[in-house]
Amino acid sequence: MTFLSIKNTLSKIFALCLKDAKLYYFKGPTVVMGILMPMFLWLAFSIGAGYSLVKTLPMLIAISAFFASSSITPIIMPWETRQRTLEMLLSRPVTIYTILLGTALASTLFGILISLGLVCISLLLNLTPQNPLLLFLGVAISSLCYSFMGLLFAAIPTDVPADVVFLSSAIRLPLVFVSGVFIPLQKLPYYILPLAYSSPLTYLSDLLRSIYYGTSFLNPLLDLAILSFLTVMFAFSTLITNKATLLKRL
Amino acid sequence: MAMKAVVEVYRLTKTFGSVRAVDSVSFFVRRGEIFGILGPNGAGKTTTLRITIGIIPPDEGEAYILGYNVHKEPIKARMFIGVVPEISNPYPDLTIWDNLMLVGKLYCLPKRVLVERARNLLEALRIQDVRNRKAKALSKGMRRRLLLAMALISDPDILFLDEPTSGLDVISARIIRSLLLELKKQGKTIVLSTHNINEAGMLCDRVAIMNKGRIIASGTPEELKIKFGKYIRILLRFNKEVGIDVIKNKVRNGNVVVQGAKVMIICGLSDLENVLNEIADFIKSHNLEVEEFQASGPTLEDVFVELIQGDGQ
Repeated sequence: MTFLSIKNTLSKIFALCLKDAKLYYFKGPTVVMGILMPMFLWLAFSIGAGYSLVKTLPMLIAISAFFASSSITPIIMPWETRQRTLEMLLSRPVTIYTILLGTALASTLFGILISLGLVCISLLLNLTPQNPLLLFLGVAISSLCYSFMGLLFAAIPTDVPADVVFLSSAIRLPLVFVSGVFIPLQKLPYYILPLAYSSPLTYLSDLLRSIYYGTSFLNPLLDLAILSFLTVMFAFSTLITNKATLLKRL
Repeated sequence: MAMKAVVEVYRLTKTFGSVRAVDSVSFFVRRGEIFGILGPNGAGKTTTLRITIGIIPPDEGEAYILGYNVHKEPIKARMFIGVVPEISNPYPDLTIWDNLMLVGKLYCLPKRVLVERARNLLEALRIQDVRNRKAKALSKGMRRRLLLAMALISDPDILFLDEPTSGLDVISARIIRSLLLELKKQGKTIVLSTHNINEAGMLCDRVAIMNKGRIIASGTPEELKIKFGKYIRILLRFNKEVGIDVIKNKVRNGNVVVQGAKVMIICGLSDLENVLNEIADFIKSHNLEVEEFQASGPTLEDVFVELIQGDGQ
């Protein structure tokens, strides 16, 4: 691969990312799934448990990064199959990998944007992160991780977005509840811990506890390392499965 | 081959379930020609085109564009082609302009070149006035013209079109056809699939006729007419009306249609001499004067129907 071909591939990924941002990330359902749903979950938990809303704001950051990055990615491929725009793209000099990376980049940026917006709100409320660099890295890596996780659902070769939404919701919602977002890992029953470790949200929520409260269950760098490992794993799985099921879409 | 082949297809075969959609199809397309793939619905034209541009892989066979194997080096091959697939759409929520910009960026065109080309294409296709309209608000004809503009934005050497004017109004179809002829003048190579035989006759230098996944004949329209045309039409206008029974009694070797003083006779090429003699006898015996006489050979449509019917459809 030459420098020029890498540059061209990156520019195609960026063009597809801008297209996705324009088409999918400023729409009602996106706002609902990316912002309102995490907000209501957080409000219900915080008010129900009698916690200060300011104190639990980092948990909202974690859930928002999770939902914002993983809610839209599963439906883009089925939607584009249905609209018959996928074949239009594939008849240009792009591969399915380029298309998927463009989609992942758009949802990652959306996740980062939403999370950093909440970080700004938390700053206004005098909730200061102890390590801003670690915070940014954590949010960025986890947004990328959740984007690829969402894209994994897109490998289902259907042109009915509702089919994918059903499956992704059925898997993602339990991942939120076992992740330690609402109950710190330290307080989780021991038999739930293996489940908690299986949720990618666990590591961001643990990292944010460390950054904001200094009380994490795992070492923050270990959280970051596991998030990076999961990102690579989801990325490869996403690219392989979507490529494998592509022909059934066409 | 007098000119170099820019598209080469060898023994493509594709099966969907128990249906053999494409069966050992081979053809080549020379630089600068318009090559038509003709066939009835379900003949395998679209599948052949989709394999040729690398959208779906064949079970067997290979396709090359400018020497690049489209399934091994798809990105390189697609850099030189523009495609208007039958089953694809522009982004409905993007404007005409944004759709063009997106596709241009996928070819990594510099912005200045992209903007200039987009303007020229919109003008040539007469959609510059609606460039800020979203694609979902366009008529079918305009959407098709937008797809053509998207295919041409990279100034490709070879253009693939699947049913380019299917279902379009006369004006849109004419705009597209005249643009295709203009592109041919500029030296572009065009491969199109169609079931519109008249369109193929108007546009194509060479055609391949497909049926049931196979190419059953190929050549220039003239070659096909000579090789496979079996009938000739004779049109006569007499100085007075003639009765159909009267002429049918005399002209026994052809099918006769009479409308007032006009008579059309369709006969096999092998019967032509007999028919002409019978007509001459008829004219003499009824003391008629011929005011108009036309004879025309088989059309491409005649050849097409003959071949498809001969192939068991």
